[in-house]
Amino acid sequence: MAEALARRPAQPFNPWPLATFVILACLAVLFLAPTIGVLLSSIKTTRDIALGELWSIPPSLYLGNFAEALGNPSVHGYLVNTLLVTAPATIASITLGTLGGYVFAKLPFRGSSLLFLAIVAGMFFPPQVILIPLFRLFNAAGLIDTLWPLVLIHTAMGIPICTLLMRNFFATVPNALRETAVVDGANEWQVLTRIALPLSLPALAVLATLQFTWIWNDFLWPLIFTKSDEKRTIMLGIVNMKGQYSVAWGVQGAMSLIASLPTLIVFLFFQRYFIKGMIMGAVKG
Amino acid sequence: MKREERFWRLVFLTPPLLVFGVLVVWPLFSSFYYSFTDWNGFDPNYAFVGFANFGKILTDRLFLNAAINTVIWMIAALLLPTLLGLTLALLIDSHVPGAPVFKSIFYLPICLSAVVVGQIWVWIYQPDWGLLNTVLETATGGAQNFAWLAKPGTALYAVIVAWSWQQTGLSMVIYLAGLTAIPRELLEAAELEGANSWQRVWHVVIPLLTPATVVAVALSVINSLKGFDILYIMTAGGPFNSSDTLAMHMYNESFKKYLMGYGSAISVVLFLVALAIIWLYFRELKKVDEIYG
Repeated sequence: MAEALARRPAQPFNPWPLATFVILACLAVLFLAPTIGVLLSSIKTTRDIALGELWSIPPSLYLGNFAEALGNPSVHGYLVNTLLVTAPATIASITLGTLGGYVFAKLPFRGSSLLFLAIVAGMFFPPQVILIPLFRLFNAAGLIDTLWPLVLIHTAMGIPICTLLMRNFFATVPNALRETAVVDGANEWQVLTRIALPLSLPALAVLATLQFTWIWNDFLWPLIFTKSDEKRTIMLGIVNMKGQYSVAWGVQGAMSLIASLPTLIVFLFFQRYFIKGMIMGAVKG
Repeated sequence: MKREERFWRLVFLTPPLLVFGVLVVWPLFSSFYYSFTDWNGFDPNYAFVGFANFGKILTDRLFLNAAINTVIWMIAALLLPTLLGLTLALLIDSHVPGAPVFKSIFYLPICLSAVVVGQIWVWIYQPDWGLLNTVLETATGGAQNFAWLAKPGTALYAVIVAWSWQQTGLSMVIYLAGLTAIPRELLEAAELEGANSWQRVWHVVIPLLTPATVVAVALSVINSLKGFDILYIMTAGGPFNSSDTLAMHMYNESFKKYLMGYGSAISVVLFLVALAIIWLYFRELKKVDEIYG
């Protein structure tokens, strides 16, 4: 900044930075409006909202909607179910991706790059293309209306992105490190767990944030594979509760916030990893 | 040494390939198989019907309707999030104060679920007290109660706007990553040659952003094929199938009407469309890599 000023001392007032800031600020308000709407609705009474006051700042904070949402025992069940799916599926998909990624990066073989490409391509297909056979498979196995199909599917669907990111990260670990260890008598498992993985903590953080967010937010798989209220995840749960709270807009808003809170917290604290993961997943095909 | 490598390769690759094979690859091929049957989802007995399901696709007016809507969605996906994302990235990259905050604001919607985004936008389009009609009332002075999501003429576009709101942040970060790769010297050289800001952006920056554009466009088009959740929440394909897409049509035929044979045929078409786009994308990525190293 100081350098630029020194170089061009006699420059007239430049309106562009200010204009850019104003344009961006307007767009930011426009972009934030929908989210703020939910926030506002959740702290208002149903009566206020019905009177057309959803979008105004309330004079007082009303917490009844949150009390109502959190007091509903179904919501507790939904949250527990979602956690029971998200945590194991996140860990399992990253573990499997790490194993595959290590082979593709450090132990390539004939045709391995083609196999790698085929796995990565799996990331881009609409899930509808495997819906019916999976429905039949889990039906035959008697697993419909349990959490098992969700854990298994999210693990499998996470393999492409996890393999991709781990392979790309392992590729940056110098081969010399591995070779020295192998000469010293270490096997591949030891190289992976004692050398490659400790160096790959950023990649693991990226994957953990991405997988957690995607699995937590998922709607399609629980829609297909769960039937009873006891097995619903939070996203399916809040959709089904719409009937129960059809005009209780404030409760719906509070519930949306509660459902989004875990991913919002992850986003706020690990945004850097999140963005990095999205870009890496998109670009390195 | 070689034998040991082969051993570990086997040990490491078997678990992921087994899971991926059983739960993704095998179902994919099974979809092709079921597309030639009249399976109804429950009956263990079903018959092979040859290409009848594919013949039905050609005469199904709802399929044609869904296909047209899918194309509209893809074209919108090509333009809306990409152009808006590029604009935001260029503005943010110009050393504006508070750039990280702006970046987070535009990126925030991507971490929300389709269910929550759908619900937010249902409220925006709500006829009586929704934000859109409230703003229109203030602007025009007259009462507005147009039901955006309940009218066949606007439902699809209303959903696409909501979806684009969520997707824009992704295009923006892809462009921001592309911008950091542009060498400063090139811009300084252009400035020395007398190019003004517009000329620099138009003739230097945007052409150099081609790789980012390839990625941003491909991702939004691919994601538009996956656009199911938000549609399910906002309109479920209605009113009168006016916002149906192929993914929605497939779901309705398979899990509402239990025509799983026909649903499989639709999913095969969906697969082939996705395959074509992914193939184009990977080819372009390779070219991009070759040109820009």
